[in-house]
Amino acid sequence: MIVERDVVVVGGGPAGLTAAARLAAAGLTVTILDEQPELGGQYYRRPAPEVARRWGDHRREGGELIAGVRAAGVECRTGHLVWGLADDDRTLLAEDEAGRPVRLRGRHLVLATGAYERSFPFPGWQLPGVTTPGFAQHLAAGDHTPIGERVVLAGSGPFLLPVACSLLALGVKVAGIAEAGTPYRPGRRALGTLRHPARLRELAGYAARLARARVPVWQGAVVLRADGHDRVSSVTLAAAGRPGQAIRTVEADALCVGYGFRPQTDLARLLGCEVTADPGTGDAIPVTDPAGRSSRPDVYVIGEAAGIGGAPTARARGLAAAHDILARETGHPVPPAEARRVATAARRLGHFTALTDALYPSPAQLLDALVPALADSTMACRCESVTAGELRADAAGDVNAAKARTRAGMGPCQGRVCGFAVAGLVRGGAVFPSRVPIRPVRMTTLLELAAEDGPA
Amino acid sequence: MRAADVVIVGAGVLGAAAAWQLSRAGHRVVIFDRGAPGREGSGTTAGNLHVQAVHTRRPGQEVPIDSARFLPLQRAASDRWESVEDDLGASVELRRSGGFTIAETPDQCQELKEKHTWEAAAGIPTEVLDGDAAREALPLLGPTVTAATWCASDGYANPLKVTPAYLAAAAGHGAELVPYAPVREIARRGGTWRVTAGTHTVAAPVVIDVAGPWLGEIAALAGIRLRMTPVAIQMHATVRAPVTMSHLVQHIGEGLSVKQVTAGNLLIGGGWPARALNLAGRSVTSVDSLLGNVALAVRVLPFIRDLRLLRAWAGPLAATPDEMPLIGEVPGEPGFLVAGGTYAFTFAPLWGETLRGLAEGAPPPVEIADLGPDRLMTQTKTHEGRQR
Ligand SMILES: Cc1cc2nc3c(=O)[nH]c(=O)nc-3n(C[C@H](O)[C@H](O)[C@H](O)COP(=O)(O)OP(=O)(O)OC[C@H]3O[C@@H](n4cnc5c(N)ncnc54)[C@H](O)[C@@H]3O)c2cc1C
Ligand SMILES: Cc1cc2nc3c(=O)[nH]c(=O)nc-3n(C[C@H](O)[C@H](O)[C@H](O)COP(=O)(O)OP(=O)(O)OC[C@H]3O[C@@H](n4cnc5c(N)ncnc54)[C@H](O)[C@@H]3O)c2cc1C
Repeated sequence: MIVERDVVVVGGGPAGLTAAARLAAAGLTVTILDEQPELGGQYYRRPAPEVARRWGDHRREGGELIAGVRAAGVECRTGHLVWGLADDDRTLLAEDEAGRPVRLRGRHLVLATGAYERSFPFPGWQLPGVTTPGFAQHLAAGDHTPIGERVVLAGSGPFLLPVACSLLALGVKVAGIAEAGTPYRPGRRALGTLRHPARLRELAGYAARLARARVPVWQGAVVLRADGHDRVSSVTLAAAGRPGQAIRTVEADALCVGYGFRPQTDLARLLGCEVTADPGTGDAIPVTDPAGRSSRPDVYVIGEAAGIGGAPTARARGLAAAHDILARETGHPVPPAEARRVATAARRLGHFTALTDALYPSPAQLLDALVPALADSTMACRCESVTAGELRADAAGDVNAAKARTRAGMGPCQGRVCGFAVAGLVRGGAVFPSRVPIRPVRMTTLLELAAEDGPA
Repeated sequence: MRAADVVIVGAGVLGAAAAWQLSRAGHRVVIFDRGAPGREGSGTTAGNLHVQAVHTRRPGQEVPIDSARFLPLQRAASDRWESVEDDLGASVELRRSGGFTIAETPDQCQELKEKHTWEAAAGIPTEVLDGDAAREALPLLGPTVTAATWCASDGYANPLKVTPAYLAAAAGHGAELVPYAPVREIARRGGTWRVTAGTHTVAAPVVIDVAGPWLGEIAALAGIRLRMTPVAIQMHATVRAPVTMSHLVQHIGEGLSVKQVTAGNLLIGGGWPARALNLAGRSVTSVDSLLGNVALAVRVLPFIRDLRLLRAWAGPLAATPDEMPLIGEVPGEPGFLVAGGTYAFTFAPLWGETLRGLAEGAPPPVEIADLGPDRLMTQTKTHEGRQR
């Protein structure tokens, strides 16, 4: 089947939803796809129906946004994974929830594929009970289910705070938060955030909740290892500056470790959009103009896929892209007042992101602290069972050479989990190349597609 | 400027095998690669050791392979693979578990029988089976298979291990590998070649151009025009499969080779063309080729239907217009040796040894007179004309 639309949006998170709603409201034909069974993306992930009935929608504006998208006439295709790009260089190839092939063409493509969590291995990270903060958050918000009874959060970045609060709301004991950096010290840099009262209030609100619950925040601390038999039972921390040496051991039956987010750019790269290193994080991000237009005039990259900035930024970027597309379609720019409002909001948010980023250690600083302490015997790539030592041995500064040598990054996750550590261990560039299929795809889907006519 | 006995341009499997052969024999060897070693044809290859005749055309190939001429070379290469792991003191996941080449049409059956007689003449034992006998031998084969040949010597070696193992063994004998050093100048003065790569210039009586798809470009630096027709072809890997299939499966009339590697993934190839050859970066895979190749794989091996496709990649190949291997000294350019062409992975141990012989002025281990570069030369220019 070939779907032809004015605009095809990939990713039904805050960014994609906002763009789709605005574009459809203006009369364009829009299809939005998401591999998840429900729209919402990460931030507006829908609670399970029984959870929503009992506990309500934890993010009501997400539900409203989705309702708005449907009301505006956007064709919503959930359970659709976009896995490739046809040889004509513009037809997107997807598989639906039943495994049927779907081809989509838009005169404009909007990529709002979000982000994934930045992980780093440590001894014991494969134990049951060890997850990412995002996983714990989804379990808490979506299923009203705590990840454990006594939880340690670790890693770096502001996201650890709301996750801790979500767990507290479920009545879980949060044993502590180990933050690799030292962001929560009053300093001059933090003052800049005062110009962003709303976002600051949000962060301050989390901090106050945690203080009320007497959740310890150990700054400058990283996970040295997790121990346990059939599940994690204790977590040992080390000082980030002296990462080999244990400073404290905490009992816990769940440990959530994450170092923020990395943009998911595989689809943009497959489409040939130029990428550059994010000045703050060093991650590969597509080169975009303020409206999200990439180096390919028919492709927009918005939301976290264009660089980490949080849900409000994702929405602002979605709106900016929609305005740009509408201006191109109609020949009339959107009313200057509305455009100015969006631009100003986006600029403010960008500024806020830069300020918060500056509070936390950069990924490069994290690697400097984490890599030397990573024992050679620790599994770095779980899919292919490659240890840190194997990656370190004659590292040539090239992630692809390391991949060829060790198989790290060749498994089903395609390097999403191990990529950050591999880059650190081999002292090489940021990401593995993007390849078809960007996620494993059923042979039966391919066979059915092969049997259809027209460009594949 | 430094002096060496041999400068090798290109650290693919041919450059690595030649470096090992030469350094082991006491020659001072310098190998340049423009990038990391073994990442081009030799890092993207299917890694099959083709002993029985290969299909004569990959999809889109214009001139068929001359199997009768190829087979004695395959036989000689096969013998040499036997000792590779011992020679290098390393595991390269070498496996000689044999392979089937299948046919689905009457014409293809005829072709199988014909190739069987050539194989017998070359001293390669193969057995012709009808469809049912083939399915009995390999129950995974599907119902469309009407005949197959079985060859016990077909095999596989992990390409991601072979080139590094050759290079490591060569380094053990003093060979010097200089990665990330693109060769940009080659000039001859009397009997000495000067090769410049990055900040290095090395003088040597012998230069070996094993730059794969760039072989022609490197020769051109020395003022030598060779008509090469490089292409990019692609490979497909499934997720790890619980089934075990230890044999190589090929198709006589269509582009198909399937095997299961040690890690459990099935590798599906057969020379399907990538979207385009990109010699400046990575060649992009074609979804049309992907679909054609996996559909064929599922027809021949129906169990693949239940798997997921994990990855596809493309790699460049140094094809010649007549599809025959290229190996020999360039006439009129003493000491300038070239080697390349399709199936260079299978031929690597043989061509490594042959290149050593050529460098030493010793007779080659197999007949190569008809495989030399003279047949591909359009015109020879002197290098004065190509100074930069
Ligand atoms: C696990 C996780 C949990 C998070 N939880 C929070 C939180 O609680 N609070 C918070 O402030 N921030 C959270 N974030 C950060 C979050 O990324 C942003 O706040 C916000 O959701 C970004 O919006 P977005 O629209 O750019 O992308 P997302 O919301 O990430 O949406 C992207 C969507 O694209 C879809 N997608 C991606 N690739 C494809 C493809 N190839 N085919 C089809 N669909 C595809 C994904 O399924 C996803 O639904 C979380 C991030 C992650 C990774
Ligand atoms: C997808 C695919 C599948 C294949 N399957 C098989 C198979 O199953 N069996 C088989 O026998 N054969 C197979 N082949 C063919 C075989 O693998 C290749 O022909 C062989 O590996 C090529 O080796 P090489 O050393 O000649 O060239 P390459 O491995 O391509 O090496 C050439 C090297 O030269 C370097 N170079 C280029 N320019 C310069 C410069 N200016 N300076 C310095 N260095 C330079 C390159 O960086 C490269 O490393 C396959 C090939 C491909 C692409």
